[in-house]
Amino acid sequence: MSEPRRSELGARSPGPRAVPAAAAAAAPDTSESQWIIPAKNYASTRYSTLDQITASNVGQLKLAFSFSTGVNRGHEAAPLVVGNTMYIVTPFPNLLYALDLTQPGAPLKWTYKPDPASASQGVACCDLVNRGASYFDGKIIYNTLDAHTVAVDASTGKEVWRTKVGDINQGESTTMAPLVVKGKVLVGNSGGEFGIRGWLTALDGKTGKLVWRAYTTGPDKDVLIGPNFKPFYPSDQGKDLGVSSWPGSAWKIGGGGVWGWISYDPELDLIYYGTANPGPWNPDVRPGDNKWTAGIFARRPETGEAIWAYQWSPHDLYDYDGINEQLLLDLPVNGQTRKVLVRPERDGYVYVLDRATGQVLSADPFGYITTTAGIDLKTGRPKQVEEKRPQTGKVVRGICPAAPGVKDWQPSSFSPRTGLIYIPHQNLCEDEEGTQADYIAGTPYVAAIVKMYPGPGGHRGEVTAWDPVARRAAWVVKERFPVWSGTVVTAGDVVFYGTMDGWFKALDAKDGRELWRFKAGSGIIGQPISYRGPDGKQYVAVLSGVGGWAGAVVAGGLDVRDSSAALGFVNAMKDLPQVTTKGGMLYVFALP
Amino acid sequence: MSSRCPERRWVLGAVALWAVTLGGCERERRGFHDRVPGTPALSMVRQSDLQPGPRTADAAVPSPYDDNAYAVSEGKRLFNQYNCSGCHFQGGGGIGPPLMDAEWIYGSEPQNIFATIVEGRPNGMPSFRHRIPDQQVWQLVAYVRSMSGLLAKDVAPGRSDDMQVTAQEQQTTKEHPVKSAVPPSTQRP
Amino acid sequence: MTTLADSVAWIGGHSVHVPDGPVALLLDRLGDYMYAVSAVLWVLVTAALLWAVFRRRAEGEDPNDPARERRMQRTVTLAVAASAAILFVFLFLSYDTSRAMTGRPAGEPLQIRVTGHQWWWEVEYRDSLPQHWATTANEIHVPVGRPVVFDFRSSDVNHSFWVPQLGGKRDLIPGQETSLWFRADTAGVYRGQCAEFCGYQHAKMAFEVIAEPPPRFAEWLVQQRDTAATPTDSLAQRGQLVFVTSPCVMCHSISGTTAGSRIGPDLTHIASRRTIAAGTLLNTQGNLFAWITDPQGLKPGTRMPATQLGPKDLAAVVAYLETLR
Repeated sequence: MSEPRRSELGARSPGPRAVPAAAAAAAPDTSESQWIIPAKNYASTRYSTLDQITASNVGQLKLAFSFSTGVNRGHEAAPLVVGNTMYIVTPFPNLLYALDLTQPGAPLKWTYKPDPASASQGVACCDLVNRGASYFDGKIIYNTLDAHTVAVDASTGKEVWRTKVGDINQGESTTMAPLVVKGKVLVGNSGGEFGIRGWLTALDGKTGKLVWRAYTTGPDKDVLIGPNFKPFYPSDQGKDLGVSSWPGSAWKIGGGGVWGWISYDPELDLIYYGTANPGPWNPDVRPGDNKWTAGIFARRPETGEAIWAYQWSPHDLYDYDGINEQLLLDLPVNGQTRKVLVRPERDGYVYVLDRATGQVLSADPFGYITTTAGIDLKTGRPKQVEEKRPQTGKVVRGICPAAPGVKDWQPSSFSPRTGLIYIPHQNLCEDEEGTQADYIAGTPYVAAIVKMYPGPGGHRGEVTAWDPVARRAAWVVKERFPVWSGTVVTAGDVVFYGTMDGWFKALDAKDGRELWRFKAGSGIIGQPISYRGPDGKQYVAVLSGVGGWAGAVVAGGLDVRDSSAALGFVNAMKDLPQVTTKGGMLYVFALP
Repeated sequence: MSSRCPERRWVLGAVALWAVTLGGCERERRGFHDRVPGTPALSMVRQSDLQPGPRTADAAVPSPYDDNAYAVSEGKRLFNQYNCSGCHFQGGGGIGPPLMDAEWIYGSEPQNIFATIVEGRPNGMPSFRHRIPDQQVWQLVAYVRSMSGLLAKDVAPGRSDDMQVTAQEQQTTKEHPVKSAVPPSTQRP
Repeated sequence: MTTLADSVAWIGGHSVHVPDGPVALLLDRLGDYMYAVSAVLWVLVTAALLWAVFRRRAEGEDPNDPARERRMQRTVTLAVAASAAILFVFLFLSYDTSRAMTGRPAGEPLQIRVTGHQWWWEVEYRDSLPQHWATTANEIHVPVGRPVVFDFRSSDVNHSFWVPQLGGKRDLIPGQETSLWFRADTAGVYRGQCAEFCGYQHAKMAFEVIAEPPPRFAEWLVQQRDTAATPTDSLAQRGQLVFVTSPCVMCHSISGTTAGSRIGPDLTHIASRRTIAAGTLLNTQGNLFAWITDPQGLKPGTRMPATQLGPKDLAAVVAYLETLR
């Protein structure tokens, strides 16, 4: 699909390299000029085939236009470009803006206001973010914080349908970007800190009617586990494990939300998505493997039927949500090409799974880890370090990585030209004490006091270029703050990402050399994209507006004298209010 | 006091000392059967200083526990057990706004805080009506006020049973409450 | 109001002198040994003292006779040596008893976790299958003849676990795990009590150990693992609704409902328990009414607040609680 310029790269990495899963990398967006879902394609590579902007000319990149969203919370969404229109979803109150790219300065075409329930702000664990929309069949489809999914006519801005998918009084909210596969809108809930019961739901793309719902916990019939369910590891095999791996009825409030990323392989006809942490954080009150939280499911998109599942963190001890993105690649493993799923995971390992069976082929650390001593490839289970296990009434120190993991939701990108995965992540450790777990519906169910701080080296963020074939980092760029934005990589061999102190940066995809930077008004935690405008030029767009869990100290105006504020993240971000303020602005760049 | 009569001076000193210790009785009183003032009528919870014409005086709603260390420590226990700390943490905020700073979105007076807990607030604060009995709400009110140093130092809690994450309420310097407008619904506290 | 004292036929009561089970027997025996030896010694010493008081010096006896001096020296040395030896025997015996009490018992013991709260006991029956965990409060069922290993925690201040007829005391210390085992050899109800001053209602922090034949115990445990019964009659149904929409829900758990707080005792099977309020009152309808209406009158300072329910709601809640077998 891209013009191969292998001579440049051939000298550096002559061996076999990873390529994106062909069918998944093409669908659903066959046009290279658009950007119609946050991950760019079903393989979730966030790779733009545009190559006007290159490592040699990116230094001349200039601001083309900007747009203020009027909302001051964390902007985690990716803008979408469909045809000649750009769509932007803001954090709560989840406004949808359409900008006309054919006009100079991209003026506003229309605004859609979903008016989500104001009270939903009280059940959003980590700022009031939204991770973006998806385009499907003439509609922009996205979730509002108050657990509704809306479809808006892409040309008129009129609401086509709206479906209530969850209940904020039970702690449910929706922050993830839906994905549309075979006409089914896939939506999951957030609220692992509120004692929710996680699910992934498919809505009919035309009508918004519920087609199926697959719970993360509970009996097999609720989890949509049937006769075709063939997990790879024996510990995942058995009847109603989603009940028997919990005490009493704890599975009903056991968390395992689905607030991250979904990938789809059209050849195997499987969707892949991760499940979030079990609740509460304090593991004392939920003995057992707590299936199927902190894991991954492969399902049929039409029926939701589970085909295989695997748990990254059985009986999760540290809020290691398993919701990160999965890059679908075809990778040479031991001399033969395997269809794999690559997952830079919260617990600090880059997992390579056979995406047909769920077998873990390798798991290599890409950050500093004290909580586990590797992954046992025979059983698929992490080797827990006993003295780092959090307990009620005891302070355990030096837990690395901290609760946000080595990498959180912020998506990475993959370039078939370099064969590297560009992982934005953090370098944090924490101290934790478990407390008494009182479930009171609609209020937080965490039962832990946490205090985070920078990991070894003192820097809090990194961008790691990971070679999935050699199973090691090709290069690492250190950042002062966690890199809470996504990355995007282009065929011009440039990697873009933003920092929480407001810099939008371009790196050389081959060696990580910084080529260009721009200072935005507020810290950047959004997902950059690249598209070709109606004028034929390549553009790069990103939303600035600090917030999210990492930036809650600024977005929520928190008090840094309390180290446990924002689930302990504030302690690691005490200096952020000195370098950036709230904001909400779209920046779009092009060559002059 | 005459220096020629030292005994009298001692007696007076002892009486004064005894009188001082009496103050401690109120501080440590355990009112298990307290009849606390009920829910303040909404008319008593003013949200604005602006009033057409001269401002009418407000009826004062007494806060029963601002001088009672036992009730404040009960408030601290309930603050953690009823998951207030789940959103406000130990005063620094997170899901909800910070409580240890000088900014009081809905007012710093005891009746304002009482109304916030019982009625809830539009931007995410749940209503605990019919969930928390009035006496416990007043204990919470007293504790919340202690977080920003609004209570006397001998009444505010001096230690915490859990991991140290903030200076104790007793050491918090008094924040002079700032009255700020009710934020628009698009902008959460 | 019916109180425990006038209605329950105690099996042995609350006395260390009516031991049941090997640990209590060991303790009792140690006590008996020490008592017997001390009693004999007391008699001997008292006799010696009396002899010394009433003895008169014989005619012509020389106070400075070196032979007499030597004799006295021998006697004192012998007495000191005997005392030391007896104390060493005591030391050894108490060491041996402590060791027998704290070591792990032979066989496959039952594991129970007990957490002390002001002022009640949380009791968890653990199992390798998490689904089989069961939680109760203030009432510990044990199978007759099988050793039971307790591990103790405290959520607030120091408490001490003590069932005089079954075993020794063990402190429950915040931030520290302690443990103890005993075995009940006769079926029956044994009273236990907090034995370390822990605040205002320390005296009313009691519990019961109910020793049952193993089959009956197994039956009880299976029943305790269940989620709560769904009420069928309309009054109890209303009671459930009142429960989850009133202050009750802030502190108590009823498995299978949205009530999941651990501040107060788990009420999933409250109707199956003999007492309420940590052994303060018998679990009768009248006592439930009284307790919910005025807990501070019955147990001043208890964490349970008066709930201000109307008479109809109160009746409904009590009816509901009585269905939670």
